[in-house]
Amino acid sequence: MIKSSPNNIIEMNNVGIRYDQGPEILSNIKLALPKGSFHFLTGQSGAGKTSLLSLMYLAQKPSRGDISIFGHNINFANHNQLASFRRRIGVVFQDFRLLEHLSAFDNVALPLRVCDMDEREIRKRVTEFLTWVELDHHMYDKASTLSGGEKQRVAIARAVINRPDILLADEPTGNVDNIIAGKLMKLFVELNKIGTTVVIATHSDKIINDFKYPRLHLQNRALHIYYPNNNSALGDINV
Amino acid sequence: MSKQQIVPRKQELQLKNENTGLFLQVIISIAVFIFAITLSGVLAVNSMIGNWNRSILGSLTVQVIPSQNPNQEKALSETLAHQEKVVDFLRSVNGVLKVTPLTNEQLGELLTPWLGDDISINELPVPRIIDVKIDSDANINFSQLSKDLNNVSPLASLDNHKLWLNKLIAFADGLKMIATTILLLVSLITSGAIFYTTKMSLGLQRGVIEILHIIGAKDTYIAQQYARHMGALGFIGGLGGIVFAIPAIFFIGNLASAIEGGIISETSLSISDWITILSLPIFAMIIAITTAYYTVKQTLKKML
Repeated sequence: MIKSSPNNIIEMNNVGIRYDQGPEILSNIKLALPKGSFHFLTGQSGAGKTSLLSLMYLAQKPSRGDISIFGHNINFANHNQLASFRRRIGVVFQDFRLLEHLSAFDNVALPLRVCDMDEREIRKRVTEFLTWVELDHHMYDKASTLSGGEKQRVAIARAVINRPDILLADEPTGNVDNIIAGKLMKLFVELNKIGTTVVIATHSDKIINDFKYPRLHLQNRALHIYYPNNNSALGDINV
Repeated sequence: MSKQQIVPRKQELQLKNENTGLFLQVIISIAVFIFAITLSGVLAVNSMIGNWNRSILGSLTVQVIPSQNPNQEKALSETLAHQEKVVDFLRSVNGVLKVTPLTNEQLGELLTPWLGDDISINELPVPRIIDVKIDSDANINFSQLSKDLNNVSPLASLDNHKLWLNKLIAFADGLKMIATTILLLVSLITSGAIFYTTKMSLGLQRGVIEILHIIGAKDTYIAQQYARHMGALGFIGGLGGIVFAIPAIFFIGNLASAIEGGIISETSLSISDWITILSLPIFAMIIAITTAYYTVKQTLKKML
């Protein structure tokens, strides 16, 4: 059993997940993500990357096993505690999951508004972030009118606006060109340098090769880790 | 003007776009209409009982039944003699302020609805009525007074109105209980409609709620948006109900005052009664806010 460490942002111990009465999609997952770490998450389509991420951002509980986040076992956390943990997690979804009827501004402002932040501070921060992702000219456009790449950038701005302790991104560069992808990766690296733990699910070999970070690989329902410059699997992650 | 100033903040949950809003407003309007009519009935009955109580507190009635002498003239003179003795006695009682035997004309007026205009009281074996005004603070022993009256004249009997008033009050209490049951049922139906509308809306808004949860919104944040929306629907629906209820209350009031006998026409709604009725939209708003808030909280508890 993984011993809970205050240095780990997320810990999973013998975690399994299944939907309804179906077979387990993930089995016996053991994982410990140290504070300030940066990992890629890879695996074939259907390998369970999105399910693993959803466990990390507390959208569901595991069918079995224990998950600890910020040192707290989520099986014993109440609703308000879970909400407080989620405020420290930034998530970028593959399908963006923006509120289409809201403007880019209001979408990015959401994580700050649910924390009851002062509107003046919200305006300042959101404007700054939307300018950074080069969407200041679309600030008050409805999300439904934005292109895929623009939506992706709004989703990323929303995920990082609250300076989260951990950033989870599901194919964050899938809908943007190489220049924007490079800028976004630079943002993730910068966030990581100031202490944010980052996990990025990706299929892009280019990104994995360009940025030398460890790779969590899902295969046959199990999780393996590969380190850069050493492509041999080290087996299940053990701490 | 900068663009920032002209773009208002939109709510995350698109509750205004749901078709259920109009349905709920209509339900609340009908509920408040029924509530207002029933409540005005309860308040009017209360006012009626109050009026009755006030009117009899300082008065009592003594009745002298006609003498049974077969000779009509003798019977009349005996009855009048008894009435005179009773009047004299009553005037000597401590606490009695005024003793007024009803005249033949007054008795005739009382009997007109049943016997018509053309009647001669002296030819009819009808009881003589004596109206007695008393000092309500005098603490008169009515039971002893009744016995003393009987000693003065076996034909006299005392009526302090308690008997018929108690029966009327029992009847009015029954009406009030029925009305209270209606008020409770209407409140329950309103809460039920808000409960199911909110539940249905939570299903429709599930996607947005999941996103709000993922970015860290607490259930209270979502529940407050529902409470605000439902509160507004409750208030507007309530106003609609009141707009229709006020003319209806006046109409029913006019019908009631047209009833002869002077019982129902004594009723009227005071300013405080009207304030209570006019505050029903606020009451509807409070029910809507409370029901929506707790429905959302309870439902979201089951989500992760």
